Amino acid sequence: MNSIFLAISAAFIAGFAALLVAYRSALRRADKLAEALARAQKQTAQDQNALQKRKQLDTLKDEFISTVSHELRTPLTSIRGALGLLSAGVMGKVDDKALNLLRIASTNTDRLVRLINDILDLERMDAGRAPLHLRRCSLSELVLQSVETMRSMADASEIRIEIVPELQADPIVFEGDADRMLQVLVNLLSNAIKFSPRGSSVRVLGGYDGENLLLRIEDRGRGVPTDKLETIFDRFHQVEASDARQKGGTGLGLAICRSILAQHGGSIWAERNDIHGNNQLGTSFVLRMPRLVAASEVTPLPLAPQGAILVVDDDAGVRQVVAEQLRRHGYTVLETDRGEQAISIATHQQVEAILLDLYMPGLTGLQTIERLKQNPATANIPVVVLSVLSPAVQTSDSQQLLSTAQGWVQKPFNESLLLAELGRVLHSGTGPGRILLVEDDEDLASVVLSSFEIEKEHGRKKGGIGIHHVSNAADAKLSCESNPPDILILDLTLPDGSGFALVDWLRRQPALRTLPLVVYSGREVTAAEMEQLRLGPTQFLTKARVQPQDVEELVLAMVRHLRHPVLETWPSVETRPA
Amino acid sequence: MRRILIIDDEDDIREVAALSLESIAGWQVYTACSGAEGMRIAATELPDAILMDVMMPAMDGPTTFKEMQKIPDLAGIPVVLLTAKVQGVDQRRFAGLGVAAVLFKPFDPLTLAEQMSDALGWN
Repeated sequence: MNSIFLAISAAFIAGFAALLVAYRSALRRADKLAEALARAQKQTAQDQNALQKRKQLDTLKDEFISTVSHELRTPLTSIRGALGLLSAGVMGKVDDKALNLLRIASTNTDRLVRLINDILDLERMDAGRAPLHLRRCSLSELVLQSVETMRSMADASEIRIEIVPELQADPIVFEGDADRMLQVLVNLLSNAIKFSPRGSSVRVLGGYDGENLLLRIEDRGRGVPTDKLETIFDRFHQVEASDARQKGGTGLGLAICRSILAQHGGSIWAERNDIHGNNQLGTSFVLRMPRLVAASEVTPLPLAPQGAILVVDDDAGVRQVVAEQLRRHGYTVLETDRGEQAISIATHQQVEAILLDLYMPGLTGLQTIERLKQNPATANIPVVVLSVLSPAVQTSDSQQLLSTAQGWVQKPFNESLLLAELGRVLHSGTGPGRILLVEDDEDLASVVLSSFEIEKEHGRKKGGIGIHHVSNAADAKLSCESNPPDILILDLTLPDGSGFALVDWLRRQPALRTLPLVVYSGREVTAAEMEQLRLGPTQFLTKARVQPQDVEELVLAMVRHLRHPVLETWPSVETRPA
Repeated sequence: MRRILIIDDEDDIREVAALSLESIAGWQVYTACSGAEGMRIAATELPDAILMDVMMPAMDGPTTFKEMQKIPDLAGIPVVLLTAKVQGVDQRRFAGLGVAAVLFKPFDPLTLAEQMSDALGWN
């Protein structure tokens, strides 16, 4: 029995060590390659070739992480399975000593799996490839959920988890990724339980400070030495080297928490409980991040139109995917699988737009749209066709649809395409194109402005497009209020505040929250920032990669698209974070 | 007694999974090491369910599943995919296929049968 175990564990340790070394050195090579590539890009900013290579590298890294994940898990599956079956006595009764060894091997296999998950998690987050799925979250709900998850571990160590009552009484809400924030809370609670003495209690306190929420998890453990309060957030830096072994941690938990908080625009730190001069033992971990200010405190902040988006498709799978994507971006969604029902819903409820499949049992999409347009109660609701057909296919039906539908998204579609099209029909610009350029660099502004002028001299159609330039956020607000633009081109660094604040303000203006936006920034925008910057259809351009004349081309394409929705395909540019 | 077909190209995993379902749950297990072999065995044995790996050379799990849907006898057999890929994109892709469930490697051999039963509504 023992020899089986020894053979398995030796093979397992050697195999994993080799894989881990190979993995890390390959990652280092990939990082070096990325650095070299970044240098090369600086020298040849306009070099399209470098852009191409970068994309290839991103794809390679994604594939690499996916493959490593698979390759490491496969041998672990056999090992874990074999150990589990042996210890269950499938091959005959195992004596106690051998059983203990098998238990050690099993526990450590589990730890290895967690370690692999954590390493991959961090790599993805650091590379900006783990975008947040933002939605409105309640802090107290997340706390309760995390406490529930940790209940059995706490009970086993006879540790009480106290949630300070105020936290449940005062509804604190924030915009965040619920799964990620839950991961943070579970991680912190798990640490607090592990390092607290048996019979003690862990306290969870919440509150807010202006526009930030605060959450504090307080343990009664041995306390973290002052000089380690910061380094414990580094990878593989635990207070005692033996902690990882004894407590079963991976040494990556706090680094992951910090990454997640940073993605949410917040921070996390550790404090000794005796910091305030009392003799309290233990450590507190404090989270601070932006919250949504409650309705009673200020005027409501609608993130989406008041009415709902109605999704009409007989394929439940498609409906589910579309509904999930829309809800994540703050839309209220209604669903139905029938044209007849869609007409009834649109007549009786407040519907802002309809996403409509063409082939359905009962009324077809075309028949549905005809009836919607004939009924005065529903005639003005914009309809976006969701179809496997391209709008370019020339059939009599499609010609008729083109003239009645306000938008068209071809299946299979991606999220950004769908949102862009929806934002566009909700914004429904019909007047002459008015572009507002917000840029504090006068030289760059004049280059962008003149690229529009050159266009005029070449005699190409401008179609009454006007461009107006302001150089700070205050003027931009004034201009938006007095004469709302059709498209906003925005620099992120402004003398009187950041572009983020301006976008926040725009979101609060009912008439401007679906405004098409082109973010033209000096640096790469991360995935989390992209989420914060989204208004209506939003495009991200980086100054080093995109020349001013290309901005003009994109903006003109957007204007054309606003006017002739279905016939022009939505302009696309590089929108990936670095 | 349930009759299960396991399709996985990794000999070791096939063996561990088979042993787990046989000795923990007492099910009758057939095994196949490729999608093509799996389809042949499924056609003759008509198992109650199929536990199938995602990444296999030649014909991978999702392809095998799609091929099976074209054959009336096989289309009704519930398929549980077993995958070592845990990234969100992969998960969503598998979930959209129409399989009965997606389970993740490494699996716990002591609860594998239970997880399958739960997913298939056998409890």
